[in-house]
This record gives sequence, structure tokens and C-alpha cells, in this order.
Amino acid sequence: MKPTENVLEIRDLVKDFPGVRAVNNVSFDIKRNTIHCLVGENGAGKSTLIKILTGAYARTSGQILLNGEEYNSHSTRDAKQKGISTLFQELNVVDQLTVEENLTLGMEDTTLGFLRHTDKINRMVSVMNDIESSIKPKQLVSSLSVAKKQIVEIAKAVAAESNIIIMDEPTAAISESEIARLFTIIKSLRDNNVTVIYISHRLDEIFELGDYVTVMRDGKHIETKPVSEIKDRSELIKMMIGKTVFEQYTPREEECLDTILQVKQLSNHRLSNISFDIHAGEIAGFYGLVGAGKTELARAIYGVDDYEGEIIFKGEKLKPSPDKAIAAGIALVPEERRSQGLFTILTIRGNVPVMNMRKISRNGFINDARERNVTLEYVEKLKIATSSIEKEAGKLSGGNQQKVVLSKCLFADADLLMLDEPTRGIDVGAKSEIYSLIRKLSREGKTIIIFSSELPEVMNICDSIYLLYDGSLRATLRNDCDCDSEKILHIVTGGE
Amino acid sequence: MQAKEIKHLRKPLMVGKLSDESFITLFMLGILAIVFAIASAIVPNFYTVQNMLNLVTNNWFVIILGIGVTFVLITGNYDMSVGGNIALTGVLSVYFCQGANVSQNTLANGLGLPYLVAVGLALLCAMGVGAVNAFFIAKLKVPSIIVTLGTMMLARGAAQVITQGAQRNTSLPDAFGVLGSLGIPDTSIRISVLVMITLIIVAYIFEKKTVFARRIYLIGANREAARLSGINVGKYLTALYILSGLLAGITGILLASEFKAGVSSRAMGYEFDALVIALLGGVSITGGFGSVLGMFVGAIILSVVTSAATGMLLSPDWQFTLKASVTFIAILAQRFALDKRKA
Repeated sequence: MKPTENVLEIRDLVKDFPGVRAVNNVSFDIKRNTIHCLVGENGAGKSTLIKILTGAYARTSGQILLNGEEYNSHSTRDAKQKGISTLFQELNVVDQLTVEENLTLGMEDTTLGFLRHTDKINRMVSVMNDIESSIKPKQLVSSLSVAKKQIVEIAKAVAAESNIIIMDEPTAAISESEIARLFTIIKSLRDNNVTVIYISHRLDEIFELGDYVTVMRDGKHIETKPVSEIKDRSELIKMMIGKTVFEQYTPREEECLDTILQVKQLSNHRLSNISFDIHAGEIAGFYGLVGAGKTELARAIYGVDDYEGEIIFKGEKLKPSPDKAIAAGIALVPEERRSQGLFTILTIRGNVPVMNMRKISRNGFINDARERNVTLEYVEKLKIATSSIEKEAGKLSGGNQQKVVLSKCLFADADLLMLDEPTRGIDVGAKSEIYSLIRKLSREGKTIIIFSSELPEVMNICDSIYLLYDGSLRATLRNDCDCDSEKILHIVTGGE
Repeated sequence: MQAKEIKHLRKPLMVGKLSDESFITLFMLGILAIVFAIASAIVPNFYTVQNMLNLVTNNWFVIILGIGVTFVLITGNYDMSVGGNIALTGVLSVYFCQGANVSQNTLANGLGLPYLVAVGLALLCAMGVGAVNAFFIAKLKVPSIIVTLGTMMLARGAAQVITQGAQRNTSLPDAFGVLGSLGIPDTSIRISVLVMITLIIVAYIFEKKTVFARRIYLIGANREAARLSGINVGKYLTALYILSGLLAGITGILLASEFKAGVSSRAMGYEFDALVIALLGGVSITGGFGSVLGMFVGAIILSVVTSAATGMLLSPDWQFTLKASVTFIAILAQRFALDKRKA
């Protein structure tokens, strides 16, 4: 049988949820052995579309042709057998198992239910080691960094020999050098008869990697065309949001002089001898690759992890405990939104006021009206898209979940707001909303520290930039003209 | 005009959809109505005022325990020590106020303390059991099921040592039996029932209105996020385990007074009954969800089934089987309904 030109044809696809049409009459083709990028803001319908392809959702109507034949999938396993593998955004590895057990999970060779050690494991391990040689097959997955866990997942899909691999934000949590490696692998996959459907909010990746791009907006298909026919980023962004977003750092007019936070010789299991001062009212950015110690630094300042050294906030030594930090006027937006920031099973109303219950209560009794009003105020202020404040927070889209976590921290009324990867995995529109919010807070006199592995983010909004490498502070820069990205990348990759 | 518009815009966001907790409580009320109707139809003399009253009053002890167990469960933890704690507190309250050196029989000799002092000390010991639980669970991070199964046996073991494996019931002051026997004349409503009703009302207000209770839900919903949101998780767990110990202690005192005896085998298996009624009432075993009112409805469902089984003159083995089946089906139906609603 001669293979069809299009590996996947989507025709008039519709998916309805109660009250929302998440995918609205979408039709487009995906050409065989290409890298096909899928872009759109959060809530544009990308994830829903992917979930239909993988069998997690049933479509409401429409048709999908795989290799020219009607395709229908009931589960991710079913989809995998039909040749469609997916790397989901939320890591899908089992922490308590070893790397090789994870690789073969669900596809173990067995005799009468007993595991058999076959060369399948060796083959998969070698696929994985092609991507990342430092991962040992007998290692427990829980001992791996987020980046390496993701690599195990990527290896698993690669090893499953699927002819379509869907990747939902595979680079959101891995470092620049690993991204480059991944791209090489994705390209070699394409050259070896695999079609890659690639979803990412990092538009530069689309230009670097993509053959075709499909833009979605509000559940509708906007455009599918070769990446080479797209002029630049802003054309893509225009298609995605229907308006142009252009942001650039503008130097602050007045210097911030008063020191609000002093960190002196901070060390712990991941950090070595870090010292710096943060001035009241500035936006400081800590940039470094994954594993450089950004999150660990944020957690140490916030009092979550133990440390040696001294942290002085507003002239007083901080006691190492989050409740003390909050009482002193520090709030943290943690790295892992769902596991550390959000109470997913509670409502939006149950989430927003939790860091400052005193403000909505009297003598320990909650004032319901005040609680509702506060929540409504933040839903409006941060434009959280929801039908009701009684909606379960876990059911919101990624960007809106992050806005709920942000609301929570803003309501804490802190003088120093620390944000760890504040825009990870959220769309361009929500991103720029968050950036302007950060600027606004800074104008109101709040001090902001951003911990980020996205250089454009740091360069866009931070007044001063701190570069971390392997747990130590390597350089401090003022964000002005002589601050160039090549030099920064040189430092954070270990250069002198 | 503009203010009016904003109000109008706000309205859809505030539409007070029934909360999932209220939904489950109502759902279980529905199941209660069905079970009650079936029982009334097939069991003679079931549908009488006296029997309906008994359905509530005969279960005051599990309901009191259920309050503490529910809140602990909402944090995502267990308290299996409450049954043993009842036995220990009951025995201690007897031992403390038995006359000192009044007899050759060691089981008739106590410390000779005034009744109120004896009660106070016994309650302190009950809270002590809770504090031990809290120390291991909150401070040393040992899983609560392990800790409280341990203290359950330790507490009962201590009660057995004090009673030499049996009971203490002699040389008690007259005041000892008062709490357990006083009540509204000509009804089955005794002080213990009034205590239960009061506690349910207080617990309901506490659950719905206080910051403290809200934080219990936060801890159960996401312990790590709760900690990062500035909640001192250990403090709250400690307070709840001590509260649960205190409630078990109150139950122990009332039961000992009612029977005028401290029996080391008292309240065997009550920890499981308290857990079951909480689950029947919709409390999530993984934490973050549930209500005291739901637990109360769960207790009445269990009570209807037990009472009906007795009324049908089933043998105890079949009573047990029937109870188990109804409980299991009811919890499955409830989880199914909740999933349907959330989908």
C-alpha cells in the first residue's frame, strides 16, 4: 500500500463541554514525516485536540483519518498501538521505579505474568542514552531532576516506534543545552519516517524546528502553512491573539537605593556561598539553566529548606519557616503550580484568600461576603477566565491556574514577591498580562524577584540580573545596553 | 449606572451552585430516606416515634467520635485510637475516684479523688493520647494509620493492665453514675445525647465559619501548598488529634458513668464505626473534602440498617453482613454520583 501524503487528516472536528465548545469545526492536514507545530493561547483548544487524538476524550462530531483510514481511539494505550505516542505536559513517570522499569512500563515482556529480562530493555536504554548518557538504567526516577525525568519520557515514546509522536511542551522544563539536543533528535526522527506534532509556547522553537505550523484560537482553526512562509514572530503572534504584543525593557528612571533583602554567605546542599543585596522597589531576576539552583535559592529565602548563612529582611534576621516569611512580608509563587501552589480540589474562592485569612475574618470567623468580594476583585483584576468563583481551581487552564496562585500571593500583601518560573507553560497573552502586572506592582513599590530559566523573560522585565551556575552566583548585571544575551549564556553555561 | 453594570457583570460569577459537600449530604439524605422507607415497610414496629428517636439517641457515642475523626480525615489522616482511648479514659475515671485502700481486692481500690478531679485527670490523659499521636504524626512524620493503630492498642493495653483484663466497678462515689443516667424524663434523651447534639451544632458552625477549619481543608487538599501558603501544618494536626482525643475522652467518661464501671473491652471497634460513618457521610479518604453534617447522616443510615437488622430478627452474623453490604453499596453510589456531578 502506498502511504498517503497526509498522515493525519482532521475534518470538521467538534468537541463540546457543558457550556463551551472547546474545539469548533476544525479541519486541517498533517503531512507525513514533517514536524508540525501547533500553537495558540491557553484555551485555544490545542490540548483538547490532542486529547481527542490520544483517546482521552471522545469527539462530539467530525472525522479523523489516520493513513487515509478512519481513526478512533479509546485510550492512550489504544492510540499507542495505532502508532500515536504522546508526551504530556505533566510528567508521566513513576518516581518509585527505576529508569529501566519506567521505560518498559506497560510494555513489559512477561511469561505467565512474570517479568522477563529481554533485550527490549537494553534497546530502550540505548535509545535513552543517545539522548542523555548520564542517566543510569538502575537509577530511581525520583532521584532525577525534572529535566531528566522528561528525557526518560521522551526516550520512552521514541522507543515505542510510533509513526506519530505528539509532544506537548517538551522543552518547558529542560535546559538550553538539553533543548538543543532534543531538537537534533526530533529532526532525526523526522528523517526516520516519524511525524512529530509539536506544541510549544516558545515561538522561537517553531521557527527553529517546525516545517508546518497550525494556529488555533478560541477553539477554531485559524491557519495552517509552512513555517518558511511566515515572516516573523509578530506575524505568528498576531494570528494567535489577533493583536500585536511587543514588549521591551525600559530602564527605570529612579535608582532604587534602600536595601530590603540581604543574603549573606548562603549555603546548603545545592547552594554555595551566595551573597547579594536586593533594593526596595526593584525587579531582580535570577537566571540560570535547570539545576543551577534557582528554585533552591527561592526556597531557602522563603524558609522551606535548611541553610547556613544569614538572610536579613528589612533589617531583621529571617527565621527559616514559610509562615514567618509571610508574616515578615515575603510571598512565594512556587515553581510547581499544581503540587505546590494550587489547591486543585478547592474552588477559586477557596484558593485566593488563603495566605491572608486575617483580612477576611474577624476573631477567627470568616466573613463570607468579604471572602467573595476579595475573590471577585482578583478574578476581575487578573482577568481570570471562569464561569464562577465556585469553580474547582484544578479545572481551569494552566494560565488561569497560575493567575489564581498569583492572586493568592498578591492578597498576602507582601512587600517582597518572589516568583519561581512565573510563566512556565502558559500562553503568550497570559504571559504579557503577567509581565505588565509585575511592572505595575513594582511601580506600586513592591520588590520583585523572578527566578527564571527563560532569558527573554529576565531581559524583558528585570532591572538587575543575577546569573547562577551550579549553585553559585557567577555574575550580577544591570539590565542596560551592554547586557547582551551571548555573554549571559556564556556565563550560565559555566564560562568564565 | 456604572456600579449597577458591574454588579450585573459580577452576578454570573457568584451564582451559588450547591457545593459538592452539600450535594453529597443531600444525596446521602436521599439514601437515608430510601433505606428508612424499606425498613419501615418490612420491619414491624419500625415506623414509630420512639424508634425514630432511638435511631439518633442510641448512637450518640459514634457520632461524638465521628466529629473528631471527620476533621482528622479531612486533613488526610486517620485516627484509629479513639476506641482504645474510650476504654482507657473510662477505666481511669473509675480508678481515680474509687476509694483508696478500702478493700483487699486490688480492683476495688483506687486513688480516692473527688469525681470532678477524676474526670478532669481522665480527660487530660485522653488528650495525652492525642498528643502522642500528634507528636509522631506531625513532628516525626510517621504515617497516621501506623501511629494511631499503635496507640489504639497501647491505650487498650493500659486499660487492661489497670483492670487486670476485666473491669472496675466497686467502691464508686454516688456522683459517678449521675452524668450517665440524668436526662429528659420519659424519653431516651440523656445528657450524653444532649452533649452529642451540642457538639454537632458547635462542630457545624466551626466547620463552616472559622479560619481554623478552613485551614484543615487546605492541609488535606494539598499539604505542601498549605505549608508554602504559611500554614503551620504541625500545629493544626496537633490541635486536631488532641481534640479527637478529648472527644473520645468525653465519650469514655459518659459511657463509664452510664454503666457505673470501667471496662477494658469497652468501645471495641468503635474506631472503625466512626470511620465508616464519616465515609458514608461523604468525607474523602484522601482528605480535603467532607462535612460533619454528612457524617451525621452517615451515622443515621448505619443506625437504621443496624436497627432494621435487629428488628428482622436476623442472626448477628447476617446482621453484620447486611450492614457491610448496605454500607459498601451506599459509599459506591455516593462516589459514583460525585464523579457524575464533576464530569
